[in-house]
Amino acid sequence: MYDIQEELKQYYSEIDPLKRLDILNSFPEDESINFLHELYHSRYSDHDNKGRKNVDWWLWRCICLHQLYSRGGLFRRFRDKEVKRIINELYMEASSHQAMLYYEYRNVARRYLSTCKSGNYASSFMGFRKADDDEKVIRACQDIWQMSKGVAWSACVEDKMQLWVEAFHDEIEDYDSLCKEEYERLNSKIRRK
Amino acid sequence: MNENKFMSAFKANAIWLVFIAEIAIFYYFNPKFLSLPNIVSISRQVSYYGIASIGMTFVILIAGIDLSIASIVVLVNVVCAHLMMNMGWNMWLAIIVSIAMATLIGVLNGFMVSTIGIPAIIATFASQTIFRGLSYILSGGLPIPDVLRYDPSAGLNGDPILGFFARWSLNHWSIFPRTGVGLIPVCAIIMVICFAVGSFILNKSYFGRYFYAIGGNEEASELSGIRVNKMKYLIYALSGFFAGLAGIVVLSRTGSAQASSLIGFEFEIITCVVLGGVSVAGGIGHMSGVIAGVLIIGSLKSGMVMANVSEYTQMVVQGLVLAVAVGFDCFSKKRQAS
Repeated sequence: MYDIQEELKQYYSEIDPLKRLDILNSFPEDESINFLHELYHSRYSDHDNKGRKNVDWWLWRCICLHQLYSRGGLFRRFRDKEVKRIINELYMEASSHQAMLYYEYRNVARRYLSTCKSGNYASSFMGFRKADDDEKVIRACQDIWQMSKGVAWSACVEDKMQLWVEAFHDEIEDYDSLCKEEYERLNSKIRRK
Repeated sequence: MNENKFMSAFKANAIWLVFIAEIAIFYYFNPKFLSLPNIVSISRQVSYYGIASIGMTFVILIAGIDLSIASIVVLVNVVCAHLMMNMGWNMWLAIIVSIAMATLIGVLNGFMVSTIGIPAIIATFASQTIFRGLSYILSGGLPIPDVLRYDPSAGLNGDPILGFFARWSLNHWSIFPRTGVGLIPVCAIIMVICFAVGSFILNKSYFGRYFYAIGGNEEASELSGIRVNKMKYLIYALSGFFAGLAGIVVLSRTGSAQASSLIGFEFEIITCVVLGGVSVAGGIGHMSGVIAGVLIIGSLKSGMVMANVSEYTQMVVQGLVLAVAVGFDCFSKKRQAS
């Protein structure tokens, strides 16, 4: 578990970017808060320069990791290159400010999980069959596992993504009681391989 | 290779093994199945299935559906033939206008689905009915025959520029349907190019990632900055475009346009796509699987014709294949979730 100052907890529990910015601006400037500003701008700016507003770049890279998990075969080299790029973009190899990064990663996972309760999530047959709550939880757990542990394992970068995997694991365990068992089941699948 | 790696390689390529098994069975019962003329014939037949299935793949990847594909193919058929045969338009101009019209129909589908919010199945079913009806109105319910004998100089009123293009297109119209590069028909080459483009879009471009992202979790995609509504417009427009291109290939192959043709074609395309491993729940699937799905359906149709299976039995078999493909997809999803 990583320790952070009490006043930062509100910042990390908030998932709305604008509210987070307000909280961030209320902090007095120092070295660690400057790093938070750097993380904030890295996360909520459009790295593709397509003039988009309300971008959560880290959430997008999270979705990319989810897609990269299932890439293999002919696209293995492309996947590995892309995963390495994401590792650099998301400060996964940074040796300092581990606690801040850990809680920022958990915030990304929390924002992703906030979308997993919507009506269309995990639905099938072109949205005609809606998933029940348990199905949504299981699917969310699978998504989180694939975009953290799963992709780290398939691209052989578990050491580099350790903090990311740990943060996502802790967030999903707090999400629902069903997740612990499901996460373990998914882990055992790769242990067998 | 250990047992698990073997199993995952087996699962990833199972669809191709089904294709090989299917060919082996048909070859066993009729050795002519693998004769050169039959292979060329199958490649001609699957070309428009393949082209149309690319657009459908994009649509199903975002957990949507496009039931208007068959009507777009038929309308493009009728409009292109009408422009060339009844109005004396230049062939290339008629083709460009027809494909542009098909793309616009796709945009209309996108408008209904993303802006108005009509469920895709209803919106595209409405389009299907509207544009099938328009095809009947335009053709008067009668076929427009002899498109391959079209005289492009008619109706040009002596315009030298259009006349030049007309003569040029007259010389080139014939390459479309019957000949090709060596033994490979032109329409099969067009299909291969389209699959390469489709595969590039899905695997190498940002658009492909957006498609997968929207199909996987639409709300998260929106929060991450993807303009989901605009993407839906693009996807349905692409579906219309590929359906239009398939319509031109059908016209060049059959040489006549008929509003009553290709009934149920959209379900055959859905079968190809779902059989190729694209999940009806969205977000999962690859173009290579769709190629296999198209080849399986094309070979199945050809094989059944060679085995003298009646048209009605063929319909039963195709329905069963669709049910099995979707059933397998749902079963594997259920097993994954439990």
